[in-house]
Amino acid sequence: MHTTLRHLSMAPALVALTIAAPAIAQEAEYNPSSITAFVAAGAGGGTDNFTRTVQPMLEERLDTNITVINLPSASGALAHQRTAQSEPNGEALDFASSTFITSRAAGQNPIGLDQLTPVARMQSDVMTLVVNPEKYETFEEFRAYAEENPGKVVIGGTHAASVDRMAFLALNEATGFDLNFIPYDNEGAASANLLSGNIDGMFNEISAIQGYMESGEMKPVLALADERLEDYPDMPTTVENGWDFTFGNERGVFINAETDPEIIAAIESAFEEVFNSDEYQAYAEKVSLDVRSGWLGSEEYRKVLEENLAFFENLLADE
Amino acid sequence: MIEDLIGGFGVVLQPVNLLILASAVLIGFVGGALPGISGVILVVILLPVTYTMEPTGAFMLLTAIYASSVFSGLITAILYRAPGTPEAVMTALDGYPMTQKGEAGKALGVGILSSAVGGMVGTVVLIVATPLLADIALQFSSPEFFALAVLGLTVVASLGGNLLLGLIGVCIGLVIASVGLDPLTGATRFTFGSLHLMSGINLIPVIIGLFAVSEVLKRSQEGDIHLATKKFTIRIFDWPIIRQIRSTVMRSSILGTAIGILPGIGASTAAMVAYSETVRWSKDRKRFGKGAPEGVAAPEAANNAAAMGALVPLFALGIPGSGTTAIILGAFIVHGLTPGPTFMSGNNDLIYAVFVGLLIVNVLILVFSRPFIAILSRLLDVPYSVLGPIIVICCIVGTYSVQNSMMDVWLMLGFGVAGFLLEKIGFPLVSIILGVVLGPIAESELRRSLAMTQGDLSVFWTRPISAILLAIAIALVVMTVVMPLVRRRKTDKDELRDA
Repeated sequence: MHTTLRHLSMAPALVALTIAAPAIAQEAEYNPSSITAFVAAGAGGGTDNFTRTVQPMLEERLDTNITVINLPSASGALAHQRTAQSEPNGEALDFASSTFITSRAAGQNPIGLDQLTPVARMQSDVMTLVVNPEKYETFEEFRAYAEENPGKVVIGGTHAASVDRMAFLALNEATGFDLNFIPYDNEGAASANLLSGNIDGMFNEISAIQGYMESGEMKPVLALADERLEDYPDMPTTVENGWDFTFGNERGVFINAETDPEIIAAIESAFEEVFNSDEYQAYAEKVSLDVRSGWLGSEEYRKVLEENLAFFENLLADE
Repeated sequence: MIEDLIGGFGVVLQPVNLLILASAVLIGFVGGALPGISGVILVVILLPVTYTMEPTGAFMLLTAIYASSVFSGLITAILYRAPGTPEAVMTALDGYPMTQKGEAGKALGVGILSSAVGGMVGTVVLIVATPLLADIALQFSSPEFFALAVLGLTVVASLGGNLLLGLIGVCIGLVIASVGLDPLTGATRFTFGSLHLMSGINLIPVIIGLFAVSEVLKRSQEGDIHLATKKFTIRIFDWPIIRQIRSTVMRSSILGTAIGILPGIGASTAAMVAYSETVRWSKDRKRFGKGAPEGVAAPEAANNAAAMGALVPLFALGIPGSGTTAIILGAFIVHGLTPGPTFMSGNNDLIYAVFVGLLIVNVLILVFSRPFIAILSRLLDVPYSVLGPIIVICCIVGTYSVQNSMMDVWLMLGFGVAGFLLEKIGFPLVSIILGVVLGPIAESELRRSLAMTQGDLSVFWTRPISAILLAIAIALVVMTVVMPLVRRRKTDKDELRDA
């Protein structure tokens, strides 16, 4: 009697063990002693903030230590290179923004999607055309002025291989406006020139210009998106005007392409958990990065990046 | 505003916040004193710590580190000619000769006092006039920045020494600065296919190499391995000296604040312009570069004032005026705060606590700097055969830490050897730094101005600020270069007539 009882009580435990076994085996494969997070941008910017916010959440889920190293040189190309040349054991990650793909298209980044595999996209912000409301109240006014004064309207931006320059090229090509582009050293300098009326517009995310919108010194007039934004129902979009392109700054994570797919899958699911956590969503809301969902898994993200690359290369070739 | 200020004092004088400020000052001291470790890096390291703090404490910590690190760059600049921060390059010009003359204590005292006064002037301006000044700063666009950079480049004429070598130095600096991606088109220039060179040559390896490493090389060659510094005492309130430097300090503080306010023009430029103005206003220019106290006072007052000035566009416009303020801006955003037009009116408690914190930091600099330097100067008792290698190691670590790049270290050592050789022919090394700092501003702003106007050059004299700045620059060149030539020809003629 005693023995049977013991056997009986053992049975469910045994069953549980056999079910759990594969899961344990799989996790045993990816057990990083530590992870190095290369940030393809300087300290203090959006990508850096994103990395450092995710760092503790990821440490907790992967039960390891993460060291963050900023490699801003050459538009982040060094970060891509270091990741691509690391041991393919899942212990080196590359945190990058859309600059990864724009600089690739512009020939400034030797590391492509054959050497780095996208793990996940965590953020996707909608880009808008921002103007000084003293000059233009609406996109229609901007458009009328640009059509009457070809070659006179100046758009400010960051650098020549930036996502905002790509947006500029796409808008110029689709609309036939003859706009000029001046790259500044950083977004702040472009903002200052927009505030003082020295330039006519710039491309930026809504999250980055909240303060200026509240004070009425800047106004987004055109969303580079397919559908109107929920919070800004009066702002027209490029797609509804018949211009078939959308833009946003995206942030995601990359890994050495030779890494075992199972390891990549494990990291991807850790990021997905982070993305869905209340903690991360609270951060996204705080920095207004929740205008639209950022999440894309490895496969979908690769597809988006490949399309973008082809699009940007075309834009630059036509220029 | 008075009420807000009193409220600010109330917040800052809480024991926790005083503790935050005091530790921030010490952290800034250590970081600023190590060559290569600048305020930027310290702020980055502490950024994650501040995420969990409440905003007032967090921003008091970050701004206080920023302020004190700008100050403490002068210590190693004066004692070892190893500027701890790029802002302190000009300080080494007269500070280090003072040390060599056995006046290290005097030089440090002048530097500390000028820094504190400069910082306080900058902070007071920040408190009183931020919104107003931000509007003025917006009047500066590409043509004005170009004119300012040209004015800055005329500094070379007041450096003393051989003017021709100075001009060659500026040109070398301009070539160094042109390496990397073209700022407008993104085309690669002089990168030889290297990824490392694509983002250009960083200022820090150039400065550390040319100044710190070359000096170590020189002294080891001279066999001067026992440093001839006697024990020194720092005298901060030394009235005869104060009388000598007070007009310099006031002028440089105001100049520094004004330049700091302009987004993108940093404290390094402010120190350069203030130094040059001081030489220009001086009755006896020959003393400069050989250990004139005014030559220490001017850049130190200006760079600390400019560091505070750089917070004006940050708070009022949301536009960072320098590298460190850019990171502080990022920290604000993480805390859910958006500096900019509406920020000033909505966050009085926070802003005035930060303002008052900065005032107190400048007082703390006066109090803490002496014991801190006393510890550092113990190093002077160490024979130079030991100290020299330690300085080189600090330079290597510091340079590497700027962007985790070994390439920067090799460049730094290369510039060290180059500086050592160039000094043998009496080359004014600082002229190279002028080119590296001001060249990119002049180049890219000139091209942006022309892009803005579709190639119309008249923009430089139809815009009043740029017209005035360029006129001053031209007048200065005429005065310092052409006038002596005319005078010489006149004396030649007189001599001929006499003959």
